[in-house]
Formats: sequence, structure tokens, C-alpha cells
Amino acid sequence: MTGTTIAERIEIQAMASELAHRELAPRAAALDAGGQDVLTECWRLLAELGLDRVLLDERQGGAGLGVADLLATIEELAVGDGGIAMCVLLCNAALATLADEHLADVPAGARWALVPAASGTEVTLSNGQLDGGVACALGAYGADGLVILLDGPEPAAWAVGAGAAGLTLERDRPQMGLRAAPAASVELAGVSCAPARDGSGGSATAVNVASAPALLRAGTAAIARGISRRAYETALEYAHARKQGGVTIIEHDAVSDMLSAMAVRLALRPEIASDPAGLAIDEVQALAAKIATTDAAVASTTDAVQVFGGTGYMVETGIEKLMRDAKYCQLFPEPNWVAHDELMRPERTSRVAPLTRTIAGNGEVRAPRGRVL
Amino acid sequence: MTSITPERSLRERFPRLLPHGERLDVGELERLRSRTRCFAEDHVRPRALEIDRRTGEDPSWFDWDLVRAGGEQGMLGLLIPEPAGGAGGLATQAAIVMEELCAACPGIALIFGAHALGVAPLLLGGPSQWDGVLAELVQSERTAKPLLMACAITEPEAGTDVEDPDLLRRARITSHARRVPGGFRLSGTKRFISNGSVARWITLLMPTDPRHPAETWTCFLLDTRSEGFAVARVEHKMGQRACPAAELTFDEVFVPDERVVSREGDGAAATTIVLACSRPPVGAIATGVARGAYERVLGWLEEDRAAKGLLERQHVQLALASMEEEIHLARQLYMDAATELDHTALGGVTSNPAVRAIAHVPAGVRRRAPMHGWLASDRARDATIALLHRTTSERAVTRSLALSSMAKAHGGDVAMLVTGAALELVGLRAGPVRAELEKLWRDAKLTQIYEGTNQLNRLEVYRGLCRSETISCLPPLHPIRRKTEGGRS
Ligand SMILES: Cc1cc2nc3c(=O)[nH]c(=O)nc-3n(C[C@H](O)[C@H](O)[C@H](O)COP(=O)(O)OP(=O)(O)OC[C@H]3O[C@@H](n4cnc5c(N)ncnc54)[C@H](O)[C@@H]3O)c2cc1C
Repeated sequence: MTGTTIAERIEIQAMASELAHRELAPRAAALDAGGQDVLTECWRLLAELGLDRVLLDERQGGAGLGVADLLATIEELAVGDGGIAMCVLLCNAALATLADEHLADVPAGARWALVPAASGTEVTLSNGQLDGGVACALGAYGADGLVILLDGPEPAAWAVGAGAAGLTLERDRPQMGLRAAPAASVELAGVSCAPARDGSGGSATAVNVASAPALLRAGTAAIARGISRRAYETALEYAHARKQGGVTIIEHDAVSDMLSAMAVRLALRPEIASDPAGLAIDEVQALAAKIATTDAAVASTTDAVQVFGGTGYMVETGIEKLMRDAKYCQLFPEPNWVAHDELMRPERTSRVAPLTRTIAGNGEVRAPRGRVL
Repeated sequence: MTSITPERSLRERFPRLLPHGERLDVGELERLRSRTRCFAEDHVRPRALEIDRRTGEDPSWFDWDLVRAGGEQGMLGLLIPEPAGGAGGLATQAAIVMEELCAACPGIALIFGAHALGVAPLLLGGPSQWDGVLAELVQSERTAKPLLMACAITEPEAGTDVEDPDLLRRARITSHARRVPGGFRLSGTKRFISNGSVARWITLLMPTDPRHPAETWTCFLLDTRSEGFAVARVEHKMGQRACPAAELTFDEVFVPDERVVSREGDGAAATTIVLACSRPPVGAIATGVARGAYERVLGWLEEDRAAKGLLERQHVQLALASMEEEIHLARQLYMDAATELDHTALGGVTSNPAVRAIAHVPAGVRRRAPMHGWLASDRARDATIALLHRTTSERAVTRSLALSSMAKAHGGDVAMLVTGAALELVGLRAGPVRAELEKLWRDAKLTQIYEGTNQLNRLEVYRGLCRSETISCLPPLHPIRRKTEGGRS
């Protein structure tokens, strides 16, 4: 697999962007209301464009694109609806971890979801059977299959078909955000499962079981950026239209300061891919990007509601939904304070340090005092 | 349940409250707080999630049982003066009640808060209002059909603009109260009115001349059974759903002269004073939301198996300490603002000997012809205004408004901060507490918007405290009687 050219990448982004504006955004309210039919309809459109298996190579019915392309696509989709973008992320992550022989059994257009779970406390594996439960597994409800991703020193992924004996999926009713990726509480009682692919795999992508958590974080960061963009664009438009105090509200510093802060947050785009071709993810960058981008999305969407005043608090305007979606990004795949913990794990801190290197006057690269490079 | 407040009494925390203060007896306040806390725990919290779910599906669904239960606790008559049968509470009492209710459910609290907001303009009418609707509200309180009030200020084209007398001058007001023989005909639309679809009476602000909204802004008391009044829609809100927010339309609704609250043209001043009174309770609403989140997350950390070991983490300890700190400061602010208003800005009005003398006149005598006639007269209304001028000043009210605005804006930010942090601590895996925290987080956002956005409130702080400006916020002693259509002399 060779990397995508810039022109190809722009074309993919444009296609996703058009889909987001033409098909997803108008359906965002219905998706948020929890409509299963509208989700099926949107998923069909996405699958027709091959967005359900972006990372797989053509042999496996995929588009053969790299991680950077997937992230760019997801960001564009999230401008239309964050929940749908989450479905795309979870499906791509799930399929990318499946072994070839399993992939052959996954029909085109099937919606799979990767479910991260804490090994031992949430889910245990013994003799090829899974037991336990995962609360609020995004995208799991109504999915055709799940890949349960167990964390721990040696992450492992296990594939479970939706109809597997011993698997119960109950809709997570309170789910507040990203509702187009319907969450379920997953109960596993002696569910037979098959190991998903391990190692680097033979597919187009460098994503494997070990890097799947990083993909989830990087993808969540991309979704958060898409949500922030929508919040900014919509709030800016409103601020130019709404008049108070005899002028459009953008003329009040109180409002333009909020919009400017949103623009600044968007201008700071984190780099996530670890190679120039954008095939692999740097896990440290993914963690940092997920924390920074989702915090920024919560701040920007909260301000967007504020720019709208009382109108923003009403469901039909679709602005408060962005706030709810952004908040869920902050909590997935783990809350940000836990992501901070992850970032500070000893094996990672030595890799955080290079981010903090400074260039001295003579051009020499130096770390801040007290840090180990 | 875990609680952060019982350790220190109100007297210890707020020394300005006197042991046997005339209007703010600290012992009474303590009793009010514990009564409300019991009511919140027994009636409000157990219903909060279910009501949120039902109103999420159908925004017009309304829980009258709760209103009845609140009525039995005196929640509807809390601010109504004693001579009218109420509890005679002030901003301080309202704030204490709001914090307790909101720690359980802000949406349900808003039903009682919006009712109090509807009552507030009537209080400025002085003794002339005691024997009308106010007495009726108290009488209904313990019946099967309690009466609710609402206050309608906001219009589609004017939200922030109607919350400030200077902005009102430039506001695009589309409503109009047209003078006709014997009263006014009201037309227009009011938006986002809490309790608007369930209220029996609404205090309503409209200009009698839309070309001069600030000068002719007038408060009316509207019977919602009047012809031409309609509830156009009930909004589907992000949070605080138990209390419906409605769009109301007025199509030539007739309101007789005697239902003009205070005097024609006094509405802008009345709004300013009402906001000075209502913002400390909104600060308390926000504080209660934050406290509710804090108590829930602490309870989860202490009791839930899934949270085992988390309390030993410094991250968690520091987060909890910050929450406690922010809640403490928010409470200090709203109590300071409320007591400043009750003691200093408006204290002279409530303790005035003339008002107290009228209060001692038996209701039967007050309601009979000679006295009733005088109380309803223009002279009595002018006397009430004169009393305001004698007992307070525009500077005192402006300062009080600024402190109230500070409490409101700061509280709103604290509510967002604490609910957001609590939700982050528990994460998506936390079980039932997550649903409660998600609701509180959605509820919290409103506290940065209503009663004037936080931005407007901070601009009031700038004017009133940073620049020591004085807003013209007392109705003029001698009103300029404008000649409006249909002309009343
Ligand atoms: C759920 C709910 C319940 C409500 N209940 C009631 C009620 O019971 N009765 C009632 O009368 N109203 C009620 N309101 C209305 C509420 O008070 C207004 O929403 C609020 O005052 C803001 O007005 P707006 O929504 O029109 O926003 P806008 O005034 O349009 O404000 C939009 C943005 O512009 C900013 N802005 C506007 N003007 C200025 C300025 N001059 N300087 C700087 N920034 C400015 C605001 O801060 C905001 O960020 C309620 C609102 C909601 C959402």
C-alpha cells in the first residue's frame, strides 16, 4: 500500500463533507431522537461510499486508505453528525482488527463496533469464552457484530457476532450524547468468541489490536474537531444575523470574544499520524490530541449555545446537541482525566518529553531542565 | 445521603443574619432550610429523572401533584406578604429554598422560582396588591387546584434588550399595549416564558407606545383565561424540563385599568428592581445544581464498588476540593447579594411604619369600600413610589443589582464547572449516577442564560461596582402622563 496523494485526500474529504452537509446534517435531529430507521438509512449511504471499511484493502472490499484519511473523513462526517461519525470510527476500528477469515464473513454494509473493555474488572476471558459486562458501549446497540477490546499489558481483541449465545445488548436509555451511535449495556455470559487479528496484520493499514486504542482516541479527537467546526460555523452565522442593542451581536465584544476563542481552538490542529504517509498513529500524540481537542470542543460548543442565548437552549435549534455530543467525546474511550493518567504511564513519558524540546539559540535541540529525553 | 452543608449553621456562616432579626430571623431560616431539604429529598429527587424523561418526550407534560405537594409546604406563598396570607419571605428566603430544591432537581425548583418571579412585580405595587390576586394565590395553595404565576418579559426580537433599561430604549419591541376605554388591549408575542403554559396569572411587560419602549414599559397582570390569549407552543428544552417554557401570543387581549401593576410607564424601573431581587435566588439555583452534582459524585465515590480506590487518588481529592471551594464561594456570593438587598437596598420599605400599620389593619376592613378604594387609587400608588424614594436610593438599588448579577453570573459558571467535572470523574461506565449527573449538567447550562445572560450580568457588575454608576431604577415621583391612543388623563 502506498500513501494517498494530497489530491486524493482532498477528494475524499470533499466527498465526506458533501455527504455530511447534504445527507447527515438534515437528519441530525432525527438521529439524535434515536430513530433506528434513519440510522439504517444513513449507514446505507455511508457503506455505499465504502466509508465503513476505509482502512481495509481492496481485496477485502475496502478503500485501502491510511489512518490520516480515515481521520480526515471522520472529521468531515462529524460536522454533519458526531454520532454517525462515531459509528464510522467504531466500525472501521472493529473491522481493522478482524482476521481475514472473519472479514470474509462480514457482509458489505454490516455495522460493527469496537467495544473497549477493562480486562478483569469488566470482562474476563477463559477457555475462549467471555464473561462480564460493559456499560454504555457506544455504537453497540443494533450492531451486526462486536469486537471486544480488552486492555491490559497485552491487549487482545475478540470478535462476537450480534446473535451469539449468551450475549445480551440492552439499549442505554439515558445516553445523552452521540446518540446516533446507540449505546448498549453489553452483558456477556459465557460467550464463545474468536480471536481477532493480532500483530501488524496483512492489510493495508498499520492498525492492529495494539494500536486500536490509539485509533479510538485519534478518531474521537477528529469527531470533536468536526463538532467544534459546526459549532463555530453556526454560531458565527447567527451572530451576524441576530440583533440586540441596535447592532448585530457579533459587534458586541462579549460575543466576538467567544467566537474568536472558538476560532483559536480550531486553528490549533494537532498532528496525529506518526509517518508522513499517514498510515500509522502515534499513540502519545493521539492521547494528547484527544484530551486537547475534546476539551476544546466542550468549551466551544458551550460558548456556541451562549452565543445563541435562550434559542441555543432549545432542542430544535440543534446547538445544544453539539454540546452533548462534545461532552461524550470528552468521556470516550475514557474520561480525559484517565487519559492524562495514560499519558503519564512510565513507558510513555519518555516519548512525551520530545514534544517539549526547545531549540536553543545555536540551533541545538534541548529538553527543558529536569526532563529526560 | 452525603451533604456538604450541615456542619456550620447559617448564623455562623453569615453573621449579618441577626438571631431575632425583624425580617430575617436566622432561626426561622434554619427551619425553612431543613423543611425544604426534607421536601426535596422526599418529593423532588425521587421524581426528577422520571419527569425529565417524560417531559423530554412531551414538553407540555406537567406534574401538578408536585405543585400540590409544594403548595402544602408553603412554596407558593413564600414571597407573598403576611397580610395577604403568605410567609412574607424576601430574597434570602427564596434563595435558601432554591438551593435546597435545586440540589434535588433544578427543573422542579424552576416551577416555584418562575412562580416567585411572577409574584415579584406585584410586591412593588405595595398594599394595593395584597387583597387581590396575591390573597387568591395563597388561598389556592393548599387546595387541589393551586394557582401558578409566570412573568413574561422576553420577546422574539428582544431578549437581552429587555433586561436592561438603557438597552430597552433601542430594543426592537413588537408587542403593544394599546389604550382603550377602561383599560388596554395587548398584542404581540412573548417567548421562553417559564410556567407560561400552566400559569393562571401572568405579570407581563409591554410598552403602551412601542416607539418609546423604555418610557412606556408597563407591567400588567393578565388573567390567562382572557380572550385572545394563547399558548402558541411549549419548547423542547435541553434541561430544567419539569418547568415548561412557552411562547405566548396576545391578540387584542383586554386588561382593565385596575390590573396595571404600579403605574403606566413604571415597567422599566420595576423590571430592574425585580431582577435585583430575583438574581440572588438564581445564583442559589446554580449553587444548588453544583451542590447536587457534588453530593452525587461524592456518594458514588464512597459507596459504589466501581469507584473503589478512586478516593485515594489525589486527582480525585483535588477535584472534590475544588468543587467544595467553588460551591462555598458561590453560596457566599448569593447570600451576600440577598442580604444586601433585603437589609440595605429594600430593608427600609419592608420595615416602614406606615406599611406595617396597614398590615395590622384586619383584612376584612382593608377589603371594604373606603380603604379598598383608597388603596386602589392613583394616590396610593404614588404614595408607594414616594415610600420607595424615601427608604432607598437609585444608587443603593444599582449596587444591589450589581451584587445580585455577580452572584448569578458566578453561580452559573460554577454550576457548569462542577457538573462537568463530576461527570468527567464518573465517566460513561458509572451506572445510575451518570444519568443524574448528565441531567444536572444539562440543567446547569440554563443558569448561564436566563435572568439575563452571564455577559449582560457581568456588564451590570461593571457599571454598578467597577464604575459606581447609578441606573435610573426607581419609578419617577411624578410620572410623566403620556397621552396615548384612546387617551387617559
Ligand atoms: C428555558 C428558559 C426559560 C426562560 N424563562 C423566562 C421567563 O420566565 N420570563 C422571561 O421573560 N424570559 C425568560 N427567558 C428568557 C431569558 O431571560 C433570555 O433568553 C435571556 O435574557 C437572553 O435573551 P435571548 O435569549 O434573546 O438572547 P440574546 O439577547 O439574543 O443574546 C444572544 C447573545 O448575545 C449576547 N448579547 C446580547 N446583547 C448584548 C449586549 N448588549 N452586550 C453584550 N452581549 C450581548 C448575549 O450575551 C448572548 O450571548 C427564559 C429563557 C430560557 C432559555
